[in-house]
Amino acid sequence: MRFLIVLCAWFASAALAHAADVTVRVTDAAGAPVRHAVVSFAPDGGYRGPIAFDWPYQIAQRNLAFEPAILIAPVGAEVRFPNLDRVRHHVYSFSDGNRFELTLYGRDETRAHRFRSAGIAAIGCNIHDQMRAYIIITDTPFIAITGADGTARLAGASGAGHLRVWHADLRARGGVQSRPARYPAAGAVQEALRVDLRAAHAGH
Amino acid sequence: MPLWAKLRPAALFARLSTKLTVLYAGLFGVGLVAIALMVNTVISANAQRTVRDELAANGAVFDRIWALQEKHLGDSAAILARDFGFRDAVATRDVETILSALDNLRGRLAIDRAFLMTMDGDVVGLDALTDAEADALWVALDARERAAGVLTIAGRPYQAVSAPIRAPDLIGWVVFAAELNRAHLQSFEALAAIPLRADVFARSADGAWLNASSAAVLEALDADVAPRTLRLAGGEAIALAQPLRAFDGGPESRLLLTYPLDRALQAYRPLMGSLAALGVFGVALLALASWFLASTVTKPIAALDAAARALQQGKRMEVATTTRDEIGRLADTFNRMSHEIAAREERITHMAMHDADTGLANRRALAGALGAMENAYVVAVAIDRFAPIRDAIGYRLAAELLRRLGARLQAAAPAGVIARIGPDALALAIACGDEADALACAERLRAAAAGATRLDGANVDIETTAGAAPVESGATQAALDHALIAIEQARQARRRTALFDKSLYGDPARNLSLMSEMLDGITRGDLTLHYQPKYDLRRGAVTGVEALARWTHATRGGVSPDLFVTMAEETGHIDTLTEWTLVRAIADQNVMRAAGLDYLVSVNLSGRLVGDDAFTKLAIELIQDTDARICLEVTETAAMDDPEAALRNIEAYVAAGVSIAIDDFGAGLSSLSYLKRIPAAELKMDKSLIKNLGRNARDALLVKSTIDLAHALGMKITAEGVETQAELALLASMGCDMIQGYVIARPAPVQTLAAAPQRATLRT
Repeated sequence: MRFLIVLCAWFASAALAHAADVTVRVTDAAGAPVRHAVVSFAPDGGYRGPIAFDWPYQIAQRNLAFEPAILIAPVGAEVRFPNLDRVRHHVYSFSDGNRFELTLYGRDETRAHRFRSAGIAAIGCNIHDQMRAYIIITDTPFIAITGADGTARLAGASGAGHLRVWHADLRARGGVQSRPARYPAAGAVQEALRVDLRAAHAGH
Repeated sequence: MPLWAKLRPAALFARLSTKLTVLYAGLFGVGLVAIALMVNTVISANAQRTVRDELAANGAVFDRIWALQEKHLGDSAAILARDFGFRDAVATRDVETILSALDNLRGRLAIDRAFLMTMDGDVVGLDALTDAEADALWVALDARERAAGVLTIAGRPYQAVSAPIRAPDLIGWVVFAAELNRAHLQSFEALAAIPLRADVFARSADGAWLNASSAAVLEALDADVAPRTLRLAGGEAIALAQPLRAFDGGPESRLLLTYPLDRALQAYRPLMGSLAALGVFGVALLALASWFLASTVTKPIAALDAAARALQQGKRMEVATTTRDEIGRLADTFNRMSHEIAAREERITHMAMHDADTGLANRRALAGALGAMENAYVVAVAIDRFAPIRDAIGYRLAAELLRRLGARLQAAAPAGVIARIGPDALALAIACGDEADALACAERLRAAAAGATRLDGANVDIETTAGAAPVESGATQAALDHALIAIEQARQARRRTALFDKSLYGDPARNLSLMSEMLDGITRGDLTLHYQPKYDLRRGAVTGVEALARWTHATRGGVSPDLFVTMAEETGHIDTLTEWTLVRAIADQNVMRAAGLDYLVSVNLSGRLVGDDAFTKLAIELIQDTDARICLEVTETAAMDDPEAALRNIEAYVAAGVSIAIDDFGAGLSSLSYLKRIPAAELKMDKSLIKNLGRNARDALLVKSTIDLAHALGMKITAEGVETQAELALLASMGCDMIQGYVIARPAPVQTLAAAPQRATLRT
């Protein structure tokens, strides 16, 4: 029976031709859905082609917080940092390859930084410790943030590669968990990822 | 004897003062020891409580200091962790910069250890960790936002605090640690009010103590958070174990605060010392005071004790009275008692040595005086007819009379002790060369004592008789008796003065044994009867015999009848003797009858036996049973004691056919009234009447009158002691019926009588 379903799925995906849909469900150790996890599929050998997302590459500072807290941007994208607060901010990141510092700038000023390396850039404000944001600089277009139900949909992922999940509190080096994955050219694939999260610390 | 018996207080303390001293000092000592123990306990408890409180307080202080230190470390770590440049260096793994930053801050803040642990597990600034330790440390840091507590690095405990480094994500931890070394703990110890000691004992992950040495310490470390007493190598200590959180959240470490009990009590040592010294001083003082007090109390008692002992030994003792308390009163009483005892003794001695009536010395006193003399003679002087005189003038004056006599004797012999040795006799001792001297001296004293004396206005003429006796070989009492006997001997000899004649008196002791010997002699046949014939003048023939007892003693020879008959009368053996005589006489009468001699046998009946009803009955039975012809001779005076009984028995004899003769008539006082009443058949004139018959006309007249009197009363008359033919002739001429005496025959045994009967020839 199972074989039959797989067979049907394989035929379906083949029919759709490079149009597989991978739905990933992320749960924590207790089985609860994890939101704000970034799930991505990196095909072996890399992805060749332009990557673009339909949201602005911008993290605003509003009410002493970064907005949004998680931003996905393609490698080489210039991310703008408009200051909507009355106070000044000093935005920085020490993340490898994406180290930058936007020294004090005030209200209605916008600075920008071009992120040239794929990876996670943890963004902080040197003045306001509680302000934190993450920019996921991606070199693959198959990437999504889990919603409240802990699922994310990776549209069009196929072939061999690595399924990765990142979360700010994920208990792993670099906060990334990765495993090999192979997806058919077409059809819907359900993936489940279990992650081990740190207990949320104050200030996260 | 069991030990306890030996240890009785009575045996231990011969002296009351010692007893009291030991008792008081002992009591005080016991009390003092009890107080000392109590004070010691209280002080010890107090000291311990103080130390415990102090330890608890210091525990709290330590907690506070620990927290402050932790905060200090944590703040310092946090400052570093937030430093932008430092974070930059950490994020970019700029080790050189990190090390320099750590060094810089460590030096500035005087922190022993400062190191970094990255999220990747790399340790910067601390080389000593093994990989396992590093992993454990990473886990510990990762487990908490800020770790703080005791961290063991290279086996040494540290107070460590971590601070997270965020950039903005957590990229590592800064750890600052202060070593909990001696210097560090000493700085804490210095804050305590008492010199306590603080030690930190850390534990490994499995709970084992890393640096605790002794079991006592381990026990204390495992205990609850409360001060307790520990027995350490250096002595007892009070300890408080305070828990210290472990840096890695593992088993708690401990802070051990200890304080030696010895030092806790040190502050009280001078107090205890003073108390002990005070106690010793107090006991000594009390012992001294008790001894002094006991001495003042017991000294009079000891004096009384000594006085009582002296009194017991007969010494007169007075005790000085110094107080007015019970002891003083006791001493007073003792003195009075002593005085009374002495007075009583004096009185008793006086009584013992003096005559109560006259106040003169007594026999004992004189005997005492005699004992010291040589060639001593006792001279006794007696008042003649003292009993009638005393009856006449009364006892009081009679005693006065004796005193006068004593005064006269004292005047005659000033040096002598005049003693009363008999109712009528006084005596004194003299020293004389020989008996003649003694006799002369006695006569001189007697004469001095005699003479008229005036008593209560009346003249009393006293005549005296004296007796003297030598003191032989210290027999003073015997000498006194002999002197009295000498008086009797003098009176019997109708003399004024006589020397004791031993031959007349005999030996009293031997006399007493004589009686038992006499009784033996009766059974053995030593006693015999001799018969003296009575010659009938009218019939010209012997018609009767008088039985006379004779005793030939086996060793003494012939014993005088006067002696043993008198003795038998006085000692109550006369009934035995008389019974024997009667039986013997009856038997002998049969012998006489066999020889053709029909004699009336006369037997003397003692005055005592005349009044004896039992003897009378016995005698009558004896005589009647044998058909004997017996005449009983009784003296006239014998009937005087109990005339009724005497007359009743005499009448019984007469009724039984026994003749009665009145013996010794004329020798004593004769009572014609009794003579009249006695139904006698015969009257025997005493030989004293016959003795001067031939020479004295008055005596002849008296004899003639007596013969006539007897005849007038219907009695035959017998003259005794007739020795000459002239007397016999005269008596015959006077009408005398019978003659008895040497002129007829001497007493002779019955055999002699039977063999040659007397045929008196009268030369008329």
